[in-house]
Amino acid sequence: MTEPRDERQVRSLRELPQAIEPQRDLWPGIEARISALPAAAPQAPGAHPLPVRGGGARLRWLAAAAMLASVAVGVWIGRSLLPAGGPGAAAAPATSPPGFAALSGASALDAAYVSDPRYQRQHAQLLRSLPARLAALPPPARAKVMASLAALTKAKEDLESALGKDPGNALLQELLVDTYQDEMRVLSDVQASDAGRGI
Amino acid sequence: MTQAQTGNTRVEWEGALVQRACAGDARAFERLYREHAGRVYGLCLRMTRDAQLAEDCTQDTFINAWRALSRFETRSSLSTWLHRIAVNVSLAKRRKSTPVVEPALEEEERPAAEWTLETPVEVAEIEDAIGELPDGARDALVLHALYGYSHGEAAQMLGIAEGTCKAQLHRARKLLRERLRVEVN
Repeated sequence: MTEPRDERQVRSLRELPQAIEPQRDLWPGIEARISALPAAAPQAPGAHPLPVRGGGARLRWLAAAAMLASVAVGVWIGRSLLPAGGPGAAAAPATSPPGFAALSGASALDAAYVSDPRYQRQHAQLLRSLPARLAALPPPARAKVMASLAALTKAKEDLESALGKDPGNALLQELLVDTYQDEMRVLSDVQASDAGRGI
Repeated sequence: MTQAQTGNTRVEWEGALVQRACAGDARAFERLYREHAGRVYGLCLRMTRDAQLAEDCTQDTFINAWRALSRFETRSSLSTWLHRIAVNVSLAKRRKSTPVVEPALEEEERPAAEWTLETPVEVAEIEDAIGELPDGARDALVLHALYGYSHGEAAQMLGIAEGTCKAQLHRARKLLRERLRVEVN
């Protein structure tokens, strides 16, 4: 072992530190390897019906619409909510592949995201048009979207419940914002599909 | 907030991270890595006694976990699940680098208890003494005495009989006592 010598005195083996930090950050190597895995996303059947990453099962319309929606949501977040070059710019997963963005601390900006009137207006608009959009979709796509929205709603509820117990938890806040953004992306996908751009 | 509430919140947000990682969100998985890497690396380092090998084992542990995450039951402990993977990976790597045949040992029944030292000893000195133990005795001691797994859990992780695990612990205790020159209870 090459760690610095620990001169503390202990009377029990349980007092020995369980965690020892590696001397270098191992995550980049892990990230590179898991991103190189073919269709590596470890899918949990039923838990997240909307695939986040590539795979043969992804519907074509979702793939195409997701790209458009990502741009749309990214631009919308970037132009409507965030100051140019602002600290939250890297936190928007729509503008960078999910999971490969640099970690950024959740901030008041994240919390402001979900309570921002412009977000709420756009969200309400998308929800209003949702029934008509869904009706226009083929049944399998409609079922996929509804399942995705249900999963996201459940995730939001879980996170809000956890935040209720630990309101200052920056990670929970960040995850909640991510989930809201995922929902916006799905709603935007549906909106785009109606224009015949993705189906 | 009570400790129990903190624990519940931790499990809830960890569950949320697992769900997101299951859906392919590597950022959520990175959060899980940051949370657990120290304990996984600590376990791998103590099992392999080689920093480079322990780093490899830690990386392989998380890569294997990523592949198998959809099979993880969120009701169980992610930490324990990762430790199981880490033990498997460490044993496999160690076998590859230095094949060691452990001698058969007589079983000794002993109740699970905290391993206390009669007089205080420097952490580094204990770590050195643990590092010098034979592989089998060290594995059992690390899982049972440091990480708090029961005889049965440690035995299952190591793929040995519970009696063998107890015997290895007996051997570890005896050797530690000799090397530290203090009573280990």
